[in-house]
Formats: sequence, C-alpha cells, structure tokens
Amino acid sequence: MTSRKLITRRVLVYIILGTIGFVLVFPFLWMIATSFTSGRAIFRLPPRFDLMFTPQMFDNYITVLRDYDFILYTINSTVVAGSAALGQIITCSLAAFAFARMKFPGRRILFVLMLATMMIPLEVTIVPEFLLMMYLGWLDSWAPLIVPSFFIGTFGTLLLKEFFENMPLDLEDAAVVDGATSFTLYRKVYMPLSKAPLATLFIIAFVNNWNELLRPLLYIDTRRLMTLTVALTTFQSEYEARWNLLLTGSVVSIVPLLIVYVFMQRFIIEGMTHTGLKT
Amino acid sequence: MKSGLSKWYRPWHPFVFVAPLIVGLFLFRLGPMVYAFFLSFNRWNIISPPVWVGLSNYVELFTSDRFLRILGNTLRYSITYVPLVMIIGLGLALIINRRIRGIAFFRAAFFSPVITSAVAIGLIWSWILAPRFGILSYLARTIFGISTPAFLAQSATALTTVAVVTVWRMSGYVMIIYLAGLQEIPSTFYEASMLDGANAWQKLRYITLPLLTPTTFFILIISIFESFKNFEIIYTMTRGGPGIASTTISYSIYQNAFVFYRMGFASAQAYVLLGIVSLLTAANFLLRKRWVKHQY
Repeated sequence: MTSRKLITRRVLVYIILGTIGFVLVFPFLWMIATSFTSGRAIFRLPPRFDLMFTPQMFDNYITVLRDYDFILYTINSTVVAGSAALGQIITCSLAAFAFARMKFPGRRILFVLMLATMMIPLEVTIVPEFLLMMYLGWLDSWAPLIVPSFFIGTFGTLLLKEFFENMPLDLEDAAVVDGATSFTLYRKVYMPLSKAPLATLFIIAFVNNWNELLRPLLYIDTRRLMTLTVALTTFQSEYEARWNLLLTGSVVSIVPLLIVYVFMQRFIIEGMTHTGLKT
Repeated sequence: MKSGLSKWYRPWHPFVFVAPLIVGLFLFRLGPMVYAFFLSFNRWNIISPPVWVGLSNYVELFTSDRFLRILGNTLRYSITYVPLVMIIGLGLALIINRRIRGIAFFRAAFFSPVITSAVAIGLIWSWILAPRFGILSYLARTIFGISTPAFLAQSATALTTVAVVTVWRMSGYVMIIYLAGLQEIPSTFYEASMLDGANAWQKLRYITLPLLTPTTFFILIISIFESFKNFEIIYTMTRGGPGIASTTISYSIYQNAFVFYRMGFASAQAYVLLGIVSLLTAANFLLRKRWVKHQY
C-alpha cells in the first residue's frame, strides 16, 4: 500500500471511531447539557440550554445537592458501596487463599457449589432474603445492603485464587522456614503482594454496589438512609416532569464513578473481562 | 502443599479461611433458594401465617394468560437483547482491534456505559425518547418529517425499547471480551491467508469467526444470563407498563412479592425463572460440542 492510501485509511478509521464514539457517548452529553437547562426552558423546542455559561449555570446542581439532599445520598452511597467492597476483599482473599494453597475435605464441593450459585439472578433469592432481613430486624438499615455482598464474592474469589496460584512457592517456603503459620503467611506475604488484584476487586465491587437498585429499593424507607439510585427513582416518581433536575441528579450519581473510571479504567476493564463476570 | 517442608497449617486452618464465604453462601444463596422452593407451595401475604396450598401457585401461573404473556415478554426481551448485543459487541471489537494512537481512549469511551447505573441510563434514555419533547422525536420531526412512536408508552414498542437501551449499555462489555478473544488468535493464520490472497471478508469468515467460537460461546452464556437480570432498567423506564406490556419475570417477582404481597406466588415465579436459566445453561453445554470447533 502506498503511504497516501495508508493515510486515507487511517483517517477513515478515525472518522468511523469518532462517529460510533459520538453515538455511544451522546446520551451522556445530552444528560449534561440538560442539566444546564432551567425548568422554564425544558419543554421548549428547539432545545436550548439557557443556563449554560450564565451566572446561574450551576443552579440545578445547587438545588439538587442542597435542597434535595443529594450530598447526603452521595455520602450514603459511598459508605454503603465502600463497606461492601471492603468486605468482599476480606472474604474473597481469605477463601481464595485456602482454595489456592491448602488442602481440606470438601474443598472441591465447596468450590463447585460457589460456582454453581454464581449465575443465579438475585431475583430468585430476593423474597427469602427479604424475609431473613425482616426476621433479623434489619429492615430500613444499611445492613441488608452491605452484609450479603460483604460475605459473597464469587468473582473475587476466582480472581484472587488464580492470582495466588501463580505466585511462586519459594516465597512460602522461605516464610515457613522462618516459622510463619498460615495466618501470618496470608497477612504478611500474600496480601502485600496482591495489591493490584485487590484494587481491581475493590473497584469492581464498589461500582456494582454503587449501582445496585433492587436491595436499596426494598430495604430503605427512611429518606435520610437512601442511596443515590433509590433517591433518583423516588425523585422520578415525585417530580415526573422536572427533567432538568432529574438529569442533574443523574449526573451527580455518575460523576464520582466516572472520576474513578478515568484513573482506574485499566483495572476496571481488565478485571471485568477476566472471568467475564461482574460480581 | 507441594513444598517439601512440613505442613505449615493445622487441618482446621483452611476452614477458618473459608468460614465467611460458607456463611455467605448458605445464608444468602443456598438457604434462600431452598426456602423459596418451600414458599412456592404456600400462600402467604406476610401478615397472616403461610398456608400450604400444594401446587396451586404453579397451576395458577401456567393457566393464567397474564403469566403466559409475562413469560413471552421475558423470552422476547432475551431474543432481542442477546443477538443484538453480540453482533454490535463483535462489530465494535473488530473496529477497535488495531494499534493506533488514541485507541485506548475510544475503548474507554465505548466501555463507559457499562459502569453507569441502570437507573441513570434509564432516566436519560426516557428523556431522549420522550414523546414530543424528546430530542429523538424532535429531530425525526424537523429533519426527516416523520413522527416517532411514544416508545415507552405503547405496548408494541415498550419492551423492545428497553431491551435496545440495555444493548446500548452492555455492548461495550461484550466488545472487551471479544477483544481479548481476537488478540489470542495467532497472527500466523492471518500471515498465511495473506500469502493465499484472502480478502478482508474471507479472513473474517474463515479465520476470525471460527477461531472465536469459544469466546462466542462464552459471551452467549453470559448474555443470556444478563438478559434475565432486567429488573432495574424496567423499573426505571416503564415500571412494567403500559399494562403488563414490558413486565418480565424479574419484574413480576418484585411486583408480586413487594407490591401485591404474594410471597408464595412470587417464589413460584422465581423457580420458573431458575428453571429457565438452568435449562438454557444445560442446553448450551450440550450443544457446545457441535459448534465450538476450534480450541487451540
């Protein structure tokens, strides 16, 4: 191929990529644009983003964050998703260490059982789970949002098991010669050397819990305990036509994740592809 | 384990390590599954004690037109979602599988809807697709002079619209998995085909697609499972409506349990869903041998 042909080809590729990129990202752009529209202008055609670049530009954000408590909901989501993700790291790394490095009766059965339940949709177990939470007196608290995902992490266990299995056994031998037991080995050797997969797992668990709707919807009644997702759907039922505020709220709910995504996209993308599953 | 040293752990140590996982597995997965099975033979509104009714929940399910329609919706959703997300995901992967400057940016952009909540995505698409004031209907009207249907408010279009929005959300995910599959194909195949003078289509048809079948199989399974988890997007966009036009089993379980307080009836539906999921998985693994040809 001549170099001119090569250049035209390359330009063509960028045009195609740009077009697809625009189509895929357009809804986000439209959401941001709508968040700079006043309530008066929202039902005007052609669409005009009348607050854009005016002194009132961030009025919708101020309304949503202050008057509609989205600051509080953001904090709630952060605490809930953060605790659940932290729990996943602990539970998964412990289990993965045992699966990867120790022999015990029932090891295979337990592993198969874990894999078998991986594909079961939450909807199948949600009714008994709700009854269990009711029995425990945990309704209208964060416990039902945090505890189940604290304890269950199939994806994380798989990810870490594979990582641990690929670590050289010499490390272990050296530590054992020094008199280390299984717990010190886990804490002092395996955990410090697994920062990358642990970070991956934490972020993915955080994203999943941040985005979760069914559990917060069922378990949280008190407004002050709501997470962003359920706050948004509540806001949606109460103020159906206030699209500018609804979409401002959506932007608020997405931005923290997008910031994390921009810096950690490698971890997130690779982690999510690794076993092909999200939790 | 394999090291020649004496055992560095006592026999009970591993159980301490797996204890939290076991608790989680039994308390939040297996326990609820067994209990849901028991519940599905009861009538129970949470307030008065449960009443054993035998198979009557299941009889009611399969004799009611309402549930058969919901079942149909569930399958229709999957049949719309799965092929579309796979084809678009593969297309994106083929386009993005090249080493040029800035490709990481495009990859990250294509993937960004995947990490966004179904709620935010449902809201923004509801506004884009809104009748009259939505940007889509406005552009269709002013540029092409055609009027668009009320996508989410009409029985004929509501379910498909929700499924297509989910395709938009998840195609970046399928793209990434296909991308990993594409990058595993040894380049020698392509070099050989160049010598034989194969064109781009022939390369795709005779090298890429056959060698991708394990990946395709994997994505097919993942996508089928993904297609049943549609509660969040349906709740946000249509609440199952209009009527029950976009009610799927996932949504119906929620509605029966937590709106109508029919715990037993909802559990029976949960078991129908579990049955479908297990059946499809089994079928996939049996059929796998027939069409996953190349495993190198």
